Amino acid sequence: MPNIYIPLLTRVKSVVKENKANDIKTIELEFQKEEDYKNFNYIPGQFAEISIIGKGECPIGIASSPTEEGTIKFTIKRMGTVTSVFHSREEGDVVGVRGPCGNGWPIEEMKGKNIVVIGGGFAFSTLRSLVLYLLDEKYRKDYGDITVIYGNRDPGEVLYQDVLEEWKKRDDIKVVLTIDREAEGWTEKVGFVAPIVKEVAPSADNAVAVVCGPPIMIKTTIAVLEELNFKDDQILNSLEMRMKCGVGKCGRCNIGNKYVCVDGPVFSLAELKKMPSEY
Amino acid sequence: MGIETDNQEIEKSMREVARNLLKEKEVDVIIGYSKGTFPLSTSPIMIKKEEEVDKLIWNNLCYVNLAKYLVPKIPQLLDPEGGDLKIGIVSKGCVGRALVHLAVEKQLNLENIKMIGIPCNGVVNRRRIEKDIGEKEVFEISASGNDLIVKGKDFEQKFPFDEYINELCKVCKVKSPPSVSEACIGECQEVPSIEDDFGDLSDYESKTTEEKWQEITDTLSVCTRCYACREACPMCYCNLCFVDQNKPIWFGKTTDMSDIVIFHLVRAMHMAGRCVACGACSSVCPMGIDLNKITRKLEKIVKERYDFTSGIDTEKLPPMMDFELEEAEEFMLEED
Amino acid sequence: MEEKLLMKDQIAKLYDELAKDYSFFAPIKEKGNIVFKKASNPEEIELDYFNSKVPPKEVLFPKMEVLFEYSLDEKDVEIKERTDLDEKRLIFGIRPCDAHSFVLLENFFDFGEFKDEIFLKKRENTTLIGMGCNSPKSTCFCTSLEGHPFQRDDLDVMLVDLGDKYLVESVTEKGKELVQKLSWLTEATKADVEKAQDLSIQAEESFQTHLDFSNVAKTLDPNFDHPIWEEISEICIGCGTCSFLCPTCTCFDVIDETDEYNNRGRRIRIWDTCQSCQYTLHTSGHNPRNSCIERCRNRILHKFSYYPTNYNLIGCVGCGRCVQLCPVNNDLRTIIEKINKIEDKKEEKISA
Repeated sequence: MPNIYIPLLTRVKSVVKENKANDIKTIELEFQKEEDYKNFNYIPGQFAEISIIGKGECPIGIASSPTEEGTIKFTIKRMGTVTSVFHSREEGDVVGVRGPCGNGWPIEEMKGKNIVVIGGGFAFSTLRSLVLYLLDEKYRKDYGDITVIYGNRDPGEVLYQDVLEEWKKRDDIKVVLTIDREAEGWTEKVGFVAPIVKEVAPSADNAVAVVCGPPIMIKTTIAVLEELNFKDDQILNSLEMRMKCGVGKCGRCNIGNKYVCVDGPVFSLAELKKMPSEY
Repeated sequence: MGIETDNQEIEKSMREVARNLLKEKEVDVIIGYSKGTFPLSTSPIMIKKEEEVDKLIWNNLCYVNLAKYLVPKIPQLLDPEGGDLKIGIVSKGCVGRALVHLAVEKQLNLENIKMIGIPCNGVVNRRRIEKDIGEKEVFEISASGNDLIVKGKDFEQKFPFDEYINELCKVCKVKSPPSVSEACIGECQEVPSIEDDFGDLSDYESKTTEEKWQEITDTLSVCTRCYACREACPMCYCNLCFVDQNKPIWFGKTTDMSDIVIFHLVRAMHMAGRCVACGACSSVCPMGIDLNKITRKLEKIVKERYDFTSGIDTEKLPPMMDFELEEAEEFMLEED
Repeated sequence: MEEKLLMKDQIAKLYDELAKDYSFFAPIKEKGNIVFKKASNPEEIELDYFNSKVPPKEVLFPKMEVLFEYSLDEKDVEIKERTDLDEKRLIFGIRPCDAHSFVLLENFFDFGEFKDEIFLKKRENTTLIGMGCNSPKSTCFCTSLEGHPFQRDDLDVMLVDLGDKYLVESVTEKGKELVQKLSWLTEATKADVEKAQDLSIQAEESFQTHLDFSNVAKTLDPNFDHPIWEEISEICIGCGTCSFLCPTCTCFDVIDETDEYNNRGRRIRIWDTCQSCQYTLHTSGHNPRNSCIERCRNRILHKFSYYPTNYNLIGCVGCGRCVQLCPVNNDLRTIIEKINKIEDKKEEKISA
């Protein structure tokens, strides 16, 4: 029985600045042991507890897709004690990883459906993982139309610009980018995510909407999706909660009788409506 | 007279005052004590209706410092718009002191408060009684003359009241709330200054540093870090206690001796000039840790160095909130 | 007779023999409090006790526990796992309610995809020698939760205090083996066994608290936003004593403690409580449980609603510690009675 509290050791391969404000970075990790990497089987939407051994641990969604071989990536925003230390990591530094944790996006149930991916701001990281997975040549045919709507405060906050460029070039995915207010040099849409979703008006027919972002964005977007006839079980959310162990033992991430780290973080709106509103 | 009769009289007049306050709508809610669910207990209660007044009791097991419920504000004591309700509080001396001190620290407004003054004669040291009777269950505790009578299934024991109250109660000089504001009604007392020779500390002070350290660490060794002491203390109202901070992590939260001692000693330092010697911290501790020596010593130092006693004067600022250029600094600076 | 007798003056002999193979945990008096600690000699064992202040869960799930140790070196980290999980432990004198809590703890740590190896391995290597409760207190209510002061099911060996001696009964295979090793135990007589049975009945009849838990989970489910939670949590000061001294509470915090000067450290877990205002505080400042009302409610729901939903068990063993030790006497029994009345009030409204 492996000890669920022992992190696997990885080394930092690269650290990439993601935004102009320089408080979001993507850190790429390489497992020190080949077998650890082989056993780290994850699906998009899962997270891992990554640690700076000696400073602490935090739960971060996995930004890389399992189809990107060799390394795993995490996009980290500098907010607290541990995340600040992550931001000063350099190539070669050791990072501990425990996981994969959580249930992830239901990629099996999503097969054969049209996927609408709606993200706001920094919460786009597990959506990057999802879209890359869906677009991979092994899996693309299993899914219908893919629409990505991604909103940010301003152009400097848009993450993963390299990957977004790639997607825009393809004809089997529709990418709509938007920012809150007009900005110089910005040629794409302008407006909050919810009205843009209304404008794009993805069909609810045989579709699944995946929504990730700040609470207000989620609320307004869900209202629009309901107008577009998306049913509660067609809308998926990834929740954030304070976590410590990430494996359902320390108790603190519970919402009602569910633990977000084990039964989530992905919940459909139908499930959320049955749970007490303490999140 | 006897403890029992004293208490009954106090209870009667306390209920009268409470009834009037609710009747005349001078307060919206009264915070007091009610009968506990087993003999050695009482339970705080908040009542809003006149017909509930008879639930209020007074006896020598009223150990919680009710001032705790006022800071920080709890939803139950706010009106629907978020404004303060007018509150009546059953106040023994230390509760009154706590309210006055909280007002000095600008945490509450005495205008919204009516202290129903009570001449407290001490809180029974439950943990000491429990330790003395061993593992037996108490079925009844009563008073006869100046003795406490504790009855159980197959036993009955007498305890001299004056000996079995909390250590801090034995040397208490402010048995009723200080009549420093119009907030105080019922039984209050004038407190121009407190005369206290701190004679109870002479034993402790005669010990060597090693002996004192041994005594303190011994007492604290059974701490489980449950923080009942901190939560019961009306002066511990910080949004983020120093032990919970993590930028940086100042001290450990474990039950290692070093972590335990640091928590209690630093918390004691944060109480300097603020503690009102109510003893709630010791009364609520599940392990029976008695912090009275630390409390008293701090009180003595503050009195001697700054001539300050907490909770008896609405104008005087506590030493840690005040500074004068002429203050003595010999403990900090070397003489030239 | 299968049952044996252990004379009270033979405790030292029992200790001397068992302490060779086991870490012998027993009720010990520490500064006036009974706690389960490792006895270093038989004289420490306190035989005249009701129950420990701190539940025996701390033997297997201590207040502070090392998850792993590490040494830091320039650009390298070395992790050292625990190697002491095979230690054989024996808990002497554990009460049936606390022994039942071990069943709940084991179920919790074993549940789901992730198993807590640290706790489970220790549990596997622990033997329980329990003691029936001759004198339950008025605050005990194990019988309301399908428990019994003389319940043997969760023990390896059961002892009954007959006055000057203990009746010894093996319950499990592990227990049988242990008792067989103590070949010097005398045989019990029929009278001894009958006396034990009498004590059991007496103890059961002495219970003063009788609570009805049959509808609690059903009532709690739809009443998450009921105003009664404001009343129930009114006097709660949010200290955490109830969680710390509860035999079934398992929440913990994880901390990295580093000795910067020597480049080494340990990741530890310490007891934590959902009553703490920081328990669910996000780094962003958002706190889903912002006041005592939500936190108090969460604890009650966790034990009496979520536990039944997730594990088909009630997360309480009726030991009464929370009742005895709550600083403000926010009595759980009163809370359960109030909850049971919610449904009654609803029915009154319908019939009116």
